Amino acid sequence: MRALCWNGVNDLRVETVADPKILNPKDVILKVGLSTTCGSDLHLIDGLIPTMREGDILGHEFMGEVVEVGAEVTKVKRGDRVVVPSFVSCGECFHCAQEQYSLCDTSHPKPELAEPILGYPTAGIYGYSHAFGGYSGAHAEYVRVPFADVDCFIVPEDVSDETALFISDAAPTGYMGADFCNIQRGDIIAVWGCGGVGLMAQQSAMIMGAEGVIAIDRYPERLAMAEALGAVAIDYTKVDVVELLKELTGGRGPDACIDAVGMEASGQGMEQAYDRVKQALYLETDRGYALRQAMMACRKGGTLSVLGVYGLMDKFPMGMIINKGLTLRSAQQHGQAYVPRLLEHAQRGELTPAPLATHRFSLEDGPKGYDMFKHKTDGCLRAVFAP
Amino acid sequence: MNAAQDPEDLDLAARAAVTIGRPADALRLLWLAPDTLPRIMSHFADVEPIDERVAQWSMEAPLGRTLRWRTQIEEKASDHLAWTSLDGADVPNAGALQFAPAPGDRGTEVTLDVRFDPPGGLIGEGVAKLFHVVPREMVLKALYNFRALALTGEIPTTEPQPAARNGGMDK
Ligand SMILES: NC(=O)c1ccc[n+]([C@@H]2O[C@H](COP(=O)([O-])OP(=O)(O)OC[C@H]3O[C@@H](n4cnc5c(N)ncnc54)[C@H](O)[C@@H]3O)[C@@H](O)[C@H]2O)c1
Ligand SMILES: [Zn+2]
Ligand SMILES: [Zn+2]
Repeated sequence: MRALCWNGVNDLRVETVADPKILNPKDVILKVGLSTTCGSDLHLIDGLIPTMREGDILGHEFMGEVVEVGAEVTKVKRGDRVVVPSFVSCGECFHCAQEQYSLCDTSHPKPELAEPILGYPTAGIYGYSHAFGGYSGAHAEYVRVPFADVDCFIVPEDVSDETALFISDAAPTGYMGADFCNIQRGDIIAVWGCGGVGLMAQQSAMIMGAEGVIAIDRYPERLAMAEALGAVAIDYTKVDVVELLKELTGGRGPDACIDAVGMEASGQGMEQAYDRVKQALYLETDRGYALRQAMMACRKGGTLSVLGVYGLMDKFPMGMIINKGLTLRSAQQHGQAYVPRLLEHAQRGELTPAPLATHRFSLEDGPKGYDMFKHKTDGCLRAVFAP
Repeated sequence: MNAAQDPEDLDLAARAAVTIGRPADALRLLWLAPDTLPRIMSHFADVEPIDERVAQWSMEAPLGRTLRWRTQIEEKASDHLAWTSLDGADVPNAGALQFAPAPGDRGTEVTLDVRFDPPGGLIGEGVAKLFHVVPREMVLKALYNFRALALTGEIPTTEPQPAARNGGMDK
């Protein structure tokens, strides 16, 4: 089959590789319908997350059709049109039982690579380096999906492929981020980042009854999409974000702040210079402007919901958390906990992720798609691949 | 096992624990089932059960060497198993498995200890040259594999397609 493979920092190629096979009895093989780029892939492409190997297939946000079924798969059938969350989860362990699916205890094939870094391995992820399991990704014609009865969700007929696609990652991540905010009557939620994840967090906060949502980014087309969803949009390069947020919230500050930016955050001034030098020298992989700004802006006793992905960051202003009594919530997405709800929201027209698919490519044009996504060329928000 | 008393031996002994949401008797049965050791130890050695107590181990070691030994289970209590290698082992070793109830409804705490006592000539080369998987990693991964097997009936794997090319099915 054809697949989009990582070959080194900023070196992606489409290659012919062997088709995946059923390896365990609860596996299925999916014929990929659509897959898409995610901000998280940029960390791999930029070389900020190590343990990628030449030839690894990227892609962890996808939907498709079941074409082959393992011996112990009971619910999922050939021909089912399904969406699959990015994390492989068994549904049987302590963490899966608590709906902490991205923390699954049994789905990481290489725990010895993760344990020295994190203390305990996470769940495995598709196409996301060997420290996260080394599973082949979905930018390919076919992908193997373990624990299919737990991880495959049938897409209702009235939900389009494109909508279903983002219910794999961007939508559950954003929804989880809003869920972390425990939104109460009158709450104002500020969201840093208007990529796929940020926009989905904004729409989710509205679904959960936020009084107002404030969206922060610098790209006009992304800010316009946030406005179209009903958010107040702020260009962080044009204003003093913290001051403006105070102004917009009667001096209180947003009740909860969601970081949907992560370690590739851009900033300005001295702080930027410091972080960039360190990142270039690989002394520090993270540039934390958005996160630090969110901490500063957040009201006292508020919630900081961190969806952006970080490495092992130093220079973390812990004093903000303790002195302001902030609650820090964070996780990689527990998609399986949210997908059924999200499909229902989509059916009712409350969740509308399809417009994230600004650019569509054949798999053969994968490298071009990633290049446009990375540089946000032509307003590219998400590049979608159809093999 | 008292590896901690001799710092020089640390790398040759290892201990790790996992908690598994299953009762101890079920886990003990699973550990003793004939195809369990071969499956959970496959990252370390090929294990072939000979009878209920004896197993044959063989391992492709660095420098093209093959190391072989037999282990025999010496103690079989309801909360405890212990084994040692038999005479003639290339690398004499011993191991033990302990089951203890975990708090609340968390199941069972399973602790695995191993210790290797290579003969003089081999030990000088250090543990990294002796094994391709160090004992610390061996016990940890065996326990993770065992937990996965106990909870899901399978062991997570990406072989033979860990990547499109290197180590993939194309190889
Ligand atoms: N927790 C999870 O499970 C999970 C899942 C998916 C993605 N993520 C992470 O979420 C983050 C966003 O993902 P995405 O796909 O939306 O990425 P993206 O690259 O499309 O969007 C990131 C946005 O952040 C904006 N940004 C950069 N610096 C900023 C700043 N200082 N202030 C405000 N906005 C700023 C960028 O302009 C961009 O629009 C990434 O870090 C990604 O790794 C996490
Ligand atoms: Zn993602
Ligand atoms: Zn699990």
